[in-house]
Amino acid sequence: MTAFKRFVEVGRVVLLSNGRKAGRIAVIVDIVDHHRVIVEGPTTGVHRHVASLSQVTLTDISIKDLPRTIGTAALKKAIVKSGVVESWKKTSWAKKLEVRRIRANLTDYDRFKVMRLKKQKRFIVDRQLAAVRKTQSA
Amino acid sequence: MVQPVRLYSKGRFLGFQRSKRNQVTSASLIQIEGVNSKKDTDYYLGKRIAYVYKGKREINGSKFRVIWGRVTRPHGNSGVVRARFRKNLPPRAMGASVRVMMYPSRI
Amino acid sequence: MSKVTYKGSLVPGVSRYSRSQRFSKRGLYLIKSKVAGVKKVSQSKEKKPSTKSAVSDLERALNRKPSTLYPAESIPKPKQTRKVHSTATLRSSIKPGTILILLAGRFRGKRVVFLKQLASGLLLVTGPYKVNGVPLRRVNQAYVIATSTSIDISDVKVGKKFDDSYFKREQEEKLKGTEEEFFGNDAKKKETPSHKVADQKVVDSQIIAKIKSDPMLKSYLNASFSLTKGQAPHLMKF
Repeated sequence: MTAFKRFVEVGRVVLLSNGRKAGRIAVIVDIVDHHRVIVEGPTTGVHRHVASLSQVTLTDISIKDLPRTIGTAALKKAIVKSGVVESWKKTSWAKKLEVRRIRANLTDYDRFKVMRLKKQKRFIVDRQLAAVRKTQSA
Repeated sequence: MVQPVRLYSKGRFLGFQRSKRNQVTSASLIQIEGVNSKKDTDYYLGKRIAYVYKGKREINGSKFRVIWGRVTRPHGNSGVVRARFRKNLPPRAMGASVRVMMYPSRI
Repeated sequence: MSKVTYKGSLVPGVSRYSRSQRFSKRGLYLIKSKVAGVKKVSQSKEKKPSTKSAVSDLERALNRKPSTLYPAESIPKPKQTRKVHSTATLRSSIKPGTILILLAGRFRGKRVVFLKQLASGLLLVTGPYKVNGVPLRRVNQAYVIATSTSIDISDVKVGKKFDDSYFKREQEEKLKGTEEEFFGNDAKKKETPSHKVADQKVVDSQIIAKIKSDPMLKSYLNASFSLTKGQAPHLMKF
């Protein structure tokens, strides 16, 4: 048993954290050396390129038994078949990133609406909670 | 009195632009909260800065005094900006917070 | 060198005619008498236009006795400026109906509706007064954030009377030299003239009708803007 769960390996899904394609995921297709890998994400708009490991983040997801230097078409098929993108979207990590992206793009009026709606929610929840507490203490 | 609305970013007066042995007291270095790269400073260029401090003696019924300045340009790549004040900031103000106003607005 | 002739002057700066000559030529004495309203001199005697040559004119000008009375100090004439201050161009993010955030002044933090740009380049805005207490007002666009929210005010009639002179401060009666000047009756609050109150109502009623289409817009305008912890304006969208 090792302490590590995410390895730099062919088939590992990575999140690009730097550059123009930051925030997209890709799959490691080959390993260049200790610091660099070749990644590609044909379904996520990431062309095949060498990426430094300092600029990608490993995820828990990987495609099992992906052959080294697989072609683009075959990789696409493998990604679709394994449902990597869907399982990425289900992770709370991806959800958090998505929420952050949406929040950053809110306009002033949108922010105000969110504030108001949260207030309304809080009001309802608090009231219900108070009612429940009352019945329990009685 | 705390203002009910804050319409300024918080900044910190780090010191003056300087070399090993000399310093340019007319160029103050300001680090603005949340500004971490040169790209981010673009919004703040030209914005007015207020260094608000308290004096012993009342002037016009207030012990608060202000030294006004403007953001002139970025300083380096880490998001620090240079500012020029009407009166150079006193060295005592180093480390103190300044108000980076949202005007003159360009958005 | 070609000879240049100057109308009314011998050489630049030296008049062909003395002051009294000009006075009589222009018939200013007629005006004078008109003002007095006593004598109506109908001097229709046309003076012969002088046909003397320029040379003799020059001689006369040179030999002319200088006036015995001079001002003690020569008063410099202010330089004529031909520059015209053109109206500042409106930022592309600001259109009629855009909701703006005021950044400075008495109403800082308030969200207001932009109506139009005035000739001076200032922006005419209204709260509306009934919603957030901001009256019809002029603001400089440098002290304003344009939000991406706007209301359609294409059919709202903003009177032509709202120009820069409309907002000029009215001259106060000077209480010079009286006791009141020093000890002041500051308690007297200035009241808004009734015609301005009426104007405000006319504009506001139209805009409030527009606001009603969006249920949250009214409370949005009523709320004031503020930066909170962790918010950096350069990352925010408005």
